[in-house]
Amino acid sequence: MLIDIRANATPEDSRTHVRFPFKLDEPACAVGIHFEYSPKCLDDDSRARELLEQSFEKYVLPEQLALAKERLDRHLPLKNLITLSVDDPAGYRGACHRHDPVQSLWISEHDASPGLMKGKIAAGEWTITLSVHAVVTERCAYRLQVWAADEVEKGEQP
Amino acid sequence: MRWTACELHAHTLHSDGKMTLLELASAAAKLGFECVALTDHNTMSGLADKEAAERQAGIAILPGMEWTTFHGHMVTVGLAEYVDWREANTGNIHDGVSAVHARGGVAGLAHPFRIGSPACTGCYWEYEMEDWNDFDYIEAWSGTFAPIKTDNARAFSLWTDKLNEGYRLAATSGRDWHDAAETEEPISVTYLRLEDESRPIGEEAAEALRRGRVSVTIGPLVTLEAQTPAASYRIGDVIPVGERTVTARIGIDFSVRQGLWTLADPACRIRLSSNKGVLEESAVQATEGTQEARITVQTEGLSWMRAELWGIVRGVTTMIAFTNAIYFD
Repeated sequence: MLIDIRANATPEDSRTHVRFPFKLDEPACAVGIHFEYSPKCLDDDSRARELLEQSFEKYVLPEQLALAKERLDRHLPLKNLITLSVDDPAGYRGACHRHDPVQSLWISEHDASPGLMKGKIAAGEWTITLSVHAVVTERCAYRLQVWAADEVEKGEQP
Repeated sequence: MRWTACELHAHTLHSDGKMTLLELASAAAKLGFECVALTDHNTMSGLADKEAAERQAGIAILPGMEWTTFHGHMVTVGLAEYVDWREANTGNIHDGVSAVHARGGVAGLAHPFRIGSPACTGCYWEYEMEDWNDFDYIEAWSGTFAPIKTDNARAFSLWTDKLNEGYRLAATSGRDWHDAAETEEPISVTYLRLEDESRPIGEEAAEALRRGRVSVTIGPLVTLEAQTPAASYRIGDVIPVGERTVTARIGIDFSVRQGLWTLADPACRIRLSSNKGVLEESAVQATEGTQEARITVQTEGLSWMRAELWGIVRGVTTMIAFTNAIYFD
């Protein structure tokens, strides 16, 4: 296992990137990535409404405020969002900007999960970047696992 | 020279969309688009299937990417390679735009007034802007039945304000299309005027956005020309100092994308707007063909003018179409 970490993000981490570098000592057939975070949604309805009303003050014109509050429900439930991108020793290998809180990803010379780019898995410094777009719950636990693999191991979790 | 029907903002399952690129391109072709920009969030991996999808769907695919950052979403079109979005902070967006330009792309503000964090982090544009001329366009209309949405009205006003301040930037529509589900709501089309069809369409489309050769509609295609005895100017052009009067020619082509849009009421109004307000407004009736209105314009004090088509859609009086500006030096 090249990376296996469990950590927590909090609302203060919103709008930050967290970088996890790792080193591949020799070229590999593939890299597997498993990423998950929880909870996905903010279940505390009154807290969600409070957060939204605060954001309306910032983002909605005063004359539209009443209407926005009337339609507040369409933004519920509020969700945590953390996305992942990958860099290899030569540069960017793509991002998986989607809302799924559990993502099993694969990147190899011959194929890659949507969002990532297939190609040689070179030795050197790689980085997984977690982009914490929003944490709306008090804390959001996440786990990131990265491993080098043979093609035949595709889809297997550690 | 040709006006080309484009969808400039769409996603596939390479980010958070529900469609493959082929499904997206096929759906766009069915809606009468001649090209669609793939603007997945922070990745261009979907473009690996570009040639095959273009061939099968019979439609051009423009390379693009939506910079999905914490402080704003920026759509980029026409770029030849990826440009990193992760260094963006509220004070350095111009560096990102320069990098996009250096790789042949154009950059625009995506849905700048959609509600931001925590509902949709970055959906509201919060970047410090030093020079609006650095940007190529503002996505004034986002989503379906765009002209009636309050966020879009605010984006459209922002564009008008910037024109009044003397900036020359384009306004576009972009559906921010994520799924293949059909909708009954009117679909916006951004028509781009391609000048040189011998060039790759991606380059030509980027050039059209850069030059403001753009006309947006949920129905007929509206065009605008300005004529003097010596010359003719089109949308995006600059009329030189010294032309004291010009003849504005507004064309309304009701024959485009036949069967793919309807106006319940044939009564429309065509309006010539400018930095000095409405220059002229007159009635037109929707027909099968093309109509033209000619208006003599005194140019003193004018810095820009555009044509707008207004009418009743789904029982609501709304803007149906707008052209980008012709400018005055």
